[in-house]
Amino acid sequence: MGRNDMTSTPLRARLHHAWRPFRESGRIARGLIYSGAGVIAGFLLLAFAGPVLYPYGGTQYRVETEPGEFATFPELAPPSAEHWLGTTKDQFDVFARIIDGATIAFTVMTLAVSIAMVVGVTLGLFSGYRGGRLDRIAVTAMDAVYAFPPLVLAIIVAFVLGAYVSPGVVSATFAVGVVYIPQYFRVVRNQTLSVKEEPFVEAARSFGARNRTVLGRYVFFNVVQTVPVILTLNAADAILVLAALGFLGYGVQPPTPEWGYDISQAVDDVAAGIWWTALWPGIAIVLLVTALTLVGEGLNDVVNPLLRARGKAGSKLKAMPRVRRARRQDDAERLAARVRDLRVGYRTADGPLWAVDGVSFDLRPGECVALVGESGCGKSSMGRAMLRLMPPGGVVHGQVDIGGTDVVTAPESEVRRLRGERAALMFQEPMTRLNPLQRVSDHFVEMIRTHRPKTSRDEARSMAREALVQVGIPPTRIDNYPHEFSGGMRQRVMLALSIVLTPRLIVADEPTTALDVIVESQILSILERLRAEEEVGILLITHNLGVVAEACDRVAVMYAGKIVETGPVDEIFNNPKHPYTRGLVASTISLKTTELRSIGGYPPSLVDPPQGCRFAPRCPYVMDHCTRRPPELAEVGPEQRAACFLYPGAGQPVPYDVAVPSGDPQVSGI
Amino acid sequence: MHAGSLGRYILQRLALAVPMVFILLTLLFLLLHAAPGDPVTATLGGRLPPEEIAARKEALGLNDPILVQYFRYIGGAVTGDFGNPITDPRSVTQIVLDTAPATIELAVAGMLVAVMLGVTVGALSGRLRDTPFDIGGRLFGILVYAAPVFWTGLLAQLFFSVHLGWLPSQQRSGGFDAPKDITGFYVLDSIITWDMAALSDVLAHLVLPAVTLGLLVGGIFIRLVRVNMLQTLRSDYVEAARARGLREHVVLFRHAFKTALIPIVTIMGLQFAMLLGNAVLTEKTFTWPGLAQALVNFIAARDYAAVQGIVTFIALMIVAVSLLIDILTGLIDPRVRY
Repeated sequence: MGRNDMTSTPLRARLHHAWRPFRESGRIARGLIYSGAGVIAGFLLLAFAGPVLYPYGGTQYRVETEPGEFATFPELAPPSAEHWLGTTKDQFDVFARIIDGATIAFTVMTLAVSIAMVVGVTLGLFSGYRGGRLDRIAVTAMDAVYAFPPLVLAIIVAFVLGAYVSPGVVSATFAVGVVYIPQYFRVVRNQTLSVKEEPFVEAARSFGARNRTVLGRYVFFNVVQTVPVILTLNAADAILVLAALGFLGYGVQPPTPEWGYDISQAVDDVAAGIWWTALWPGIAIVLLVTALTLVGEGLNDVVNPLLRARGKAGSKLKAMPRVRRARRQDDAERLAARVRDLRVGYRTADGPLWAVDGVSFDLRPGECVALVGESGCGKSSMGRAMLRLMPPGGVVHGQVDIGGTDVVTAPESEVRRLRGERAALMFQEPMTRLNPLQRVSDHFVEMIRTHRPKTSRDEARSMAREALVQVGIPPTRIDNYPHEFSGGMRQRVMLALSIVLTPRLIVADEPTTALDVIVESQILSILERLRAEEEVGILLITHNLGVVAEACDRVAVMYAGKIVETGPVDEIFNNPKHPYTRGLVASTISLKTTELRSIGGYPPSLVDPPQGCRFAPRCPYVMDHCTRRPPELAEVGPEQRAACFLYPGAGQPVPYDVAVPSGDPQVSGI
Repeated sequence: MHAGSLGRYILQRLALAVPMVFILLTLLFLLLHAAPGDPVTATLGGRLPPEEIAARKEALGLNDPILVQYFRYIGGAVTGDFGNPITDPRSVTQIVLDTAPATIELAVAGMLVAVMLGVTVGALSGRLRDTPFDIGGRLFGILVYAAPVFWTGLLAQLFFSVHLGWLPSQQRSGGFDAPKDITGFYVLDSIITWDMAALSDVLAHLVLPAVTLGLLVGGIFIRLVRVNMLQTLRSDYVEAARARGLREHVVLFRHAFKTALIPIVTIMGLQFAMLLGNAVLTEKTFTWPGLAQALVNFIAARDYAAVQGIVTFIALMIVAVSLLIDILTGLIDPRVRY
């Protein structure tokens, strides 16, 4: 019934919500809309104030000099102070005809698009609501009309209407309008159909008439964003169709001023070298259509979430000097990865933020380190930053040393060669990570031959088969397309792609989140084997503590972009030190307790993070100095460190009367 | 391995095209019979004695019940008989055979221009999002779409034919150089007969109309390719391709660009219809003796029978093209035939 509540909120609030993307849209989208709207406003002014301000009318060919005395306009006079844009061969004033043409254009455009919308929306609602065979026929009919050349359709409608009414504004309006009906029909019909099956509508059926109101309102709010876009783009197109009809002689009839007709009259002038009669009406059309299209496209950019600018709206992050560090050949060579003071920043609509803010850790070969934390704490940013795969607008600072290469500062070509070869990244969503147009074998061959150009196609294919066998996929399926595999199989294909070149490091970003328990344990056991037999270092990013307990040696707990605790997996589970870790462990379901504890509150905004410890606002042990400066990681046990002022070494003396938590939080509490 | 599924897919599309043709033809029949009176009176009324008009009506079967006329119309259309004009001794089928090649030649050339323009500018715009090139490319796309074909054509004639004298501005060939008419497609004919003089003449005549027509649809392609490119560039599999260490140009072309083109192919059918519509304007501007020009002339003569026949042919052509596009999509995209 939640949806029902939503539809009963006030109209203004809902519209306000619908318009939210506009307020958050980028500068360019808004610039397009504003400049287009400016030109349209100019034309409106021209159409409605022009006839009053400009001395001549569009069909006027003479002026009264004295009562009863007339002076006719010159024929084909070039632009002058008297006739701003010149005169035509029919002794009409070009500018006056542009003005009156604008009035006609606006009238026909508004009426035509309104007719199309009203008819299309009504038919769409009705057809979608009725369903059944009638709906299918209506859909095919509308598709047929939509597929038909719009201009030819308009001509035929004008032609048939010509038998009833004398050609003019009315027939032109209908001819132009018919063209756009299918678009509104389609949008509204599809919405109606999908809404009709919603449970709240089903339930509302028992209330009789209210059923339709709910339906109508729901459809309205679902199309309220798309219809203005269609409307504006149709209006632009309507101007062109009207002009085309006029040019062919089926539109508004002479001598009524209409831009397309005026151009058709100027064809012979052009051959004679007279440019002003054809140029100006054309420019008027181009300007008005461009302006309307700009507004429509701008609205579309705003409304379509796929086109919305990402990470571009806010101000820039302070650039940090990029220092090229000397390669560390010593101990870093022996590590699978060495991360020092890693910072990952984005620009957002609310301002710049550091999603990862000074993270350091080492990953030894054959070791599995888990990176855990709530969603939004920076785990995934961390995983991508390990291979410097940043979305537009993202920056990475600090040091990520993989086999002697500093990923952060190395040139792009060097980092590229490292990706997939020495360090592999596995993603969360297996369904969308393979190219739908490529066979699985193409993915392998392409990758293997990129990194090892001397490998032949056949060698690459046999390597691929081996990797597939390792993850339990029959090698006979090597030439299948991604869509022929299930989600679990696709993730295993991704895993095979990750291991085929035997990397030293695998960063696995929630590799099992979307999968069922059986596939999950299959994938984890493959990772386990790689670790034991091939000495691969694994960084497992997850929020699932069960997975951590099963697969990992060490755990790093992340909160709001910082590591708050690291330690061996047993210590973290049985004797966590940081209050956040304690809360996290306590909130998992276990056999030791039936009580499900959770930490109150929400993670802080990273745009303006708390000055001191970032967990302070939610921490049950918070002390005065916690909010003043951030704690450092303090040694709290063998190989266990926590960033908390409860422990000596965090940067502040610990008050003697503080009760330090200890033991299993599921038994002894947070 | 996929031949079976592709065959099934094609059959499926064919089966879907049948009701489409049927409904389209019915709509056209209803629309054209919505006009009051009969076509012969409408066309020739007042110009011929009443008995002559009655005789012609009888000959054309206009006195038969409307249902009989309807089935005769559908039957004729399906067997390639589009009826007989009132004002022209040729059958509509003959007129179509005479004029359609010119229009198809123009439309195909226009489509080529549009695709080349739209794909290059659109893909670059998408890749260089929000840079001056992107903004310029988008504005260019909107401007060429916003300019009426007949106006652009007029300016092009003024500049390239009258002012510079580089290209001819009217007709399909310069008369003496016309190739021997074999297929009606002049480019094809001059290649078949290996007549280079004719070929260069025919191509020179084709340039202005094709570019004028292509610019318009090219503007739409720029928009679509750009948007699709933006979507594929941020898609999961493109990120995954980067994560596998593929070279940037491979990521761009093989992964982002290729998939971005599929929706373009899918909507090419619609664009082809739009191109045909605007061919009416292009043909008039460049006195191109095509089907659209013939249609316009018959409309001016209020010849219902001819208009009905030609429009029916256009409708069938549209359905055939969209069927072709569907099959093409099936060949390119393994997902749709699944």
